[in-house]
Amino acid sequence: MCGIAGVLYKQEGAHDIGKTLINMLDGCQHRGPDSTGFALYGDEKEQLQLRFIVPTEEVSRKKAIENIGVLLAKHGATIDSEQSIGCSYQISVNFDGDLHAFTKDIEEHAKLVSVGHTLDIIKDDGTAQEVDATYNVAAVKGTHAIGHVRLATESAVRPEAAHPFWATGFEDIAIVHNGQITNYWKMRRRLERRDFTFHTDNDSELVAVYLADKLAQGETLDSVLETAIDDLDGTFSFLVSTQNEIGYAKDHLAAKPMVLFETDEMIAIASEEVSLNRLFPGQSITSTEPAPGTFQTWSR
Amino acid sequence: MVKIDLSQSNITDANNRIRECGQNGQDVEIINPDARHNIGVGLVDPIKVSIKGSAGYFCGGLSHGAHYEIEHNAGWAVGDNIYSGSVVVGGNAGAIAGVAIRGAEIVVRGNMGSRAGQVMKAGTLCCGGNAAFMAGYMMYGGRIIILGDAAEKLGSDMSAGEIFVGGKIKSLGSDTMVVDMEAGERDDVMEFLDRYKMKFSGEFTKVVNAGKKLRYANAEPRTRPQPFFVSSKSSNYWNPKVQEDIWIKGEVGRYRIRGYGASKPVPHLNDIAFVKDVSKLTTSPDDLKDINLKTTVGGRYGAKPISLSMPVMIAPMSFGALSRKVKIALARASRLSGISENTGEGGMLDEQRAEADQLIFQCLSGRLGWNVKDMQRADAIEIYISQGAKPGLGGQLMAKKVTPELAAIRGIPQGIDLRSPSRHPDVLGADDLVIKVEEFREVTGHKVPLGIKMGAGRVNDDIKIAYKDGFDFVELDGLQGSTGAASTEVLENVGIPTLSAVQEAIDGLKEIDAKDDMDLVMMGGIKDGVDVVKMLALGASCTSVGTSAIIAGGCIACMQCHVGSCPVGIATQDKEHEARYDLDLQAENMHRYFESLRWQIAAITRALGYDDVHKVGRDDLVALTPEAADITGLPYHPEYRSNPQPAIGLEVLSRKAG
Repeated sequence: MCGIAGVLYKQEGAHDIGKTLINMLDGCQHRGPDSTGFALYGDEKEQLQLRFIVPTEEVSRKKAIENIGVLLAKHGATIDSEQSIGCSYQISVNFDGDLHAFTKDIEEHAKLVSVGHTLDIIKDDGTAQEVDATYNVAAVKGTHAIGHVRLATESAVRPEAAHPFWATGFEDIAIVHNGQITNYWKMRRRLERRDFTFHTDNDSELVAVYLADKLAQGETLDSVLETAIDDLDGTFSFLVSTQNEIGYAKDHLAAKPMVLFETDEMIAIASEEVSLNRLFPGQSITSTEPAPGTFQTWSR
Repeated sequence: MVKIDLSQSNITDANNRIRECGQNGQDVEIINPDARHNIGVGLVDPIKVSIKGSAGYFCGGLSHGAHYEIEHNAGWAVGDNIYSGSVVVGGNAGAIAGVAIRGAEIVVRGNMGSRAGQVMKAGTLCCGGNAAFMAGYMMYGGRIIILGDAAEKLGSDMSAGEIFVGGKIKSLGSDTMVVDMEAGERDDVMEFLDRYKMKFSGEFTKVVNAGKKLRYANAEPRTRPQPFFVSSKSSNYWNPKVQEDIWIKGEVGRYRIRGYGASKPVPHLNDIAFVKDVSKLTTSPDDLKDINLKTTVGGRYGAKPISLSMPVMIAPMSFGALSRKVKIALARASRLSGISENTGEGGMLDEQRAEADQLIFQCLSGRLGWNVKDMQRADAIEIYISQGAKPGLGGQLMAKKVTPELAAIRGIPQGIDLRSPSRHPDVLGADDLVIKVEEFREVTGHKVPLGIKMGAGRVNDDIKIAYKDGFDFVELDGLQGSTGAASTEVLENVGIPTLSAVQEAIDGLKEIDAKDDMDLVMMGGIKDGVDVVKMLALGASCTSVGTSAIIAGGCIACMQCHVGSCPVGIATQDKEHEARYDLDLQAENMHRYFESLRWQIAAITRALGYDDVHKVGRDDLVALTPEAADITGLPYHPEYRSNPQPAIGLEVLSRKAG
């Protein structure tokens, strides 16, 4: 039960994606005051970027970070740089092995929430402004980003249960979701039999894992979104982002709101027009509401 | 013309200003609206409000007589529930444009989102562009004009009204059909279009209700009165109740419908007892003076709370399910006993308003009888999500009860088997509910408490949503809660017992570290003052009585409420039957029953060693059965069973009478 927002600038460059998304999420914070999250796509880094959720209490935080060090060493990954901030621990690592096996093992022993060469997922309890105050999201520049404000309904308020979710095993893919997947357990059991592991009871994690599974089978983002609309039962509007694209899918019942606004320079999507209008204060924008059961993708 | 800059004002101040302008007859211009929600809601004066830009959700909602012009787009539910007046949207409108309107003119020059005109009852909703799917969903009357195309399921489950489509129709919804336009009808439509300067030269397709689902194919037969206590006996597997059930299903070929609540034994307040032996208490005539029973409900955000002389309310029951006389009697009894009355689903009666000191106005999914003027004369507002008797389903009112008078107050065609929608058009999740809460707060100027009525399903999750969405109070109804009509399968099997519900609610609130500021009103099987005190000891702030109040007021519990020919004139709209009801006498009976609750509550509170009923707590209770211990986490002490409690109340009463 949430609000979502996303933006993609069609031209390469260092756009103010952090500031833009903070503004959009602040506009719909009423839809979800519990936690806020950002999936931000900046320059492509040489090293693999990982972000973990770690305890904020000092002793267990230290232990969790040590444990991550041991895990990385086990897979021959070396840390190039690190930053420990808020509830998270972010590192650049040198790694060129099998990413899927690497992340699967790490995810079993640590709370890995972001993996990629361009993607960084920042999420924590609190509002967009509060999360920005800790993580300085406003300083992040890049080409596209998606974000989420959450009102926890069926799972707990914890940073790892906040959105965006990383599509397990695939770098640079993230999703944010507004709605409720009603065939959650059926789909989850199906995916668990295919050797996927779930780390929360949040139905949005299922959407991420579902996408990962389909992409692993070589499908395009477009075709994945198309099948998702029929495979996932319930009410949903979700956004997905990859290294170069963002896309949306909307359920057949149109039960969850979503509006979008496109110009030659950018595409912005949000739960409510009030978020889009934040980018153009005092102006009227010609937004459109996607039809039920539709999807679309854009690339930069 | 007064100019209000929304970039310089919060929405509450802006709405207060707009209402002020309304009273002074001044038109208003809103600049920098930037798609903000709830602009101009609750306005009851005929001024013009021009919005220079886009508006968010509920723009112009719950107004009466005002005219709105939105230069650009509008969000969800533009013109929500308007009685009269108009809204013109220059651009596109989001989902459920014109939801529940009862006479307004809503014009959207661009496209409309899904479910436009859902549960509308009268007036015109006109769209210059295309309408997304399910336009006219469950509409009860009025007309929709779509100049462009209509998407899937047009008019699904509409009961009455007309839809005119100028473009293509992708598919018709259930129980609809295409008919020829009647003479003069096109002229009427063209006159409307001319008035709003909309051009159209093609042909219209007219869609109306096909009349196949308005009534159940087989009416519910009358049965031998089989009172509640007989049908509750379930010691035998094949009992008279099961036998009758099978016979009737053989006759009607579908699920059955009846009144009342679950009639099977479930763990309840009888399965817990007081630690102290209250039966040995000494009562004093001063109990009522010495013991504080005063209770307030709904003060969380500074609204004027409902103020009760004891922790008891009257449960929401509709005019519709119950006769007019009974609603008035309930209202009078509530005033005599210093407690509150609740309208339930079917709108507010003038006599009910006049009799009740404190009246809660309930908003349901079908928005039947829901309107701004009654909202603004209510003492509290309550959004109904579901009830204990039928969680997840809407109400049912069988055709016999849908009389002309009833149909008029609800804004529906008379003589249909009314099946209310199972969910609100504009509340499809906790996130939408936040905006609905804000709309209601704006309409009532943040002055009255706002509550939520929930049937007990997944209480642990639901109570957290209620808390986070900012309600002042919750009325939570267990499986035992009654209804005027519901399917028996749902009545008996869906939901959790009241005892489990209260515990889940308390636990859920604790899990999110909720402050003790949202009042919890528990209902569903509260029969006496003993139950009230137990419920408060478990953690509730107040209780609510429905069935017991009705029984005190003459109900014989024959469980034929759905049929509409209640022998004692309670659950009926039949004038002859209603004439049998002695309003004055029964109001007094109900009042005396409420006073018996007061005596019991005070006496038990004193016996437990307190001077205030709100001081009782879990330490005062034990569980008598393993089930009750498991549900509540109270210590299991079966030995208390040999020391039955209920005698206490009667003792006190007889002493008073003597």
